[in-house]
Amino acid sequence: MQALKAVYINELYKISKKKKVVVSFILTLAAVIIAAIIAFCLNSFAGIRVTGSSEFSLLVLSVLSYTLIPLFTAFICIDMFGGEFVEQTMKLTLTRPASRFKVFTGKVLAAASFIIANLLMVMILSVTASFFINGTSFNILKIILSYVLAFFPIFVFALMVILITNCTKGTTSAFMLSVLVFLLFTGLGIAFPYYKSFLFTSLFDWYKLFLGSYINIYKIIRNFFILCGYCIMLFGLGYYLFEKKDL
Amino acid sequence: MDKAIVIENLSKMYKNNRGIQDISLEVNRGDIFGFLGPNGAGKTTAMKIMVGLMKPDKGDVRINGYSILDDYENAIRNVGCIIESVIPYPYLTAYENMKICSRYYENINDSRIDECLELVGLLKYKNERIKNYSLGMKQRIGIAMSILSKPQILILDEPLNGLDIEGMVEIRNLILNMSNEYKTTFFISSHLIHDIELTCNKIGILYNGRLLGVDSTDNILKNYSSLENYYLSEVDVNAGS
Repeated sequence: MQALKAVYINELYKISKKKKVVVSFILTLAAVIIAAIIAFCLNSFAGIRVTGSSEFSLLVLSVLSYTLIPLFTAFICIDMFGGEFVEQTMKLTLTRPASRFKVFTGKVLAAASFIIANLLMVMILSVTASFFINGTSFNILKIILSYVLAFFPIFVFALMVILITNCTKGTTSAFMLSVLVFLLFTGLGIAFPYYKSFLFTSLFDWYKLFLGSYINIYKIIRNFFILCGYCIMLFGLGYYLFEKKDL
Repeated sequence: MDKAIVIENLSKMYKNNRGIQDISLEVNRGDIFGFLGPNGAGKTTAMKIMVGLMKPDKGDVRINGYSILDDYENAIRNVGCIIESVIPYPYLTAYENMKICSRYYENINDSRIDECLELVGLLKYKNERIKNYSLGMKQRIGIAMSILSKPQILILDEPLNGLDIEGMVEIRNLILNMSNEYKTTFFISSHLIHDIELTCNKIGILYNGRLLGVDSTDNILKNYSSLENYYLSEVDVNAGS
């Protein structure tokens, strides 16, 4: 347990010290603030009601969970695995008393924590912005639930990026391939809508299933198991490749 | 005699048909074992396998009785190492790099970190980022990181690379001091025959991926005028066979 804890804390520490992370947080903040200003201006001066109070947070989530958050998550995951292999700093971790399974798990947990921190920051900021846009009446529970549920598909994407990073030798190729896979899955979802729910990219907005007046429990359970299946498969495959990797 | 390191039939071949073949050797506790061989002989490959950075095609390495393949954490718990060049996280300071290493062990506090940095002469630069360090300073921080946990065994691949003369002497003295004071076992690779002769009490010669021979430095120097002569004669015999 000490080894896993050490890997996890070290990864979080390294993430926090990277300029890339600071920039990603600033850009995410800027995106939320700009969206809030536009919504506020349209609401106040043009008389166009873009969103209600609750919906502003959800609107921000629906945009960022498809764009900036997966993008920055991909950066972090590629840095954590491919980047460290390329720079050979991975040696520092792999020659310590921590099995490769613990190293892999610790890194995955750190990536998950990064996603949670990002979502939490966006949620707090967007809820704060909601006060200025449309008063104080909004359903905070609905917002929290949506942000919690949005974590899962982004986490699946992170595991996908980790798998790709462990297949490739360079960080650029890993990034390009990750983007390609993301676009391919999204494209397949459009081309074959019947099979859409089996593609994790179409589950980025699965939290919407919980928001309507009618909640389709069957669909929610099915999607949950699909996401769990993705997690298990991608984690297993990613670890297999990580374990086999020579430095 | 208590065995600190046991290498059993270790083999690893690369696609270009280079690598190591059937290496078997034992290092007793407290020994300073010198692994001598030309560039490309397979020293780094063997050492990478010893610390788990690479998987062998065949064979195993036992450190303190634990298999590196089956019980990695216990095998490596009392081992410190430098493999090839030392590459700490460049965006972190020396202290932060040491702190990162310290989290894997119990009872390593800031004073131990300072003590190690002092030993390698980097204490006054501890808050400087590694990206501003010279090659020699990076090598020194690597040595500091490898001794941080007071390991029983140190596996050092070309530890004097990049060091100036003063640094080489300091590190050589540090090795001898740790061996005398704490009975630390060393497994040191080098292509610098003079350093091996000055530091090690047992020597193994690796050539073209094969272990040609293992003997104590005293024995070698009894039979040959210098370690260099022993090395050349072993290589000649091997080349002829």
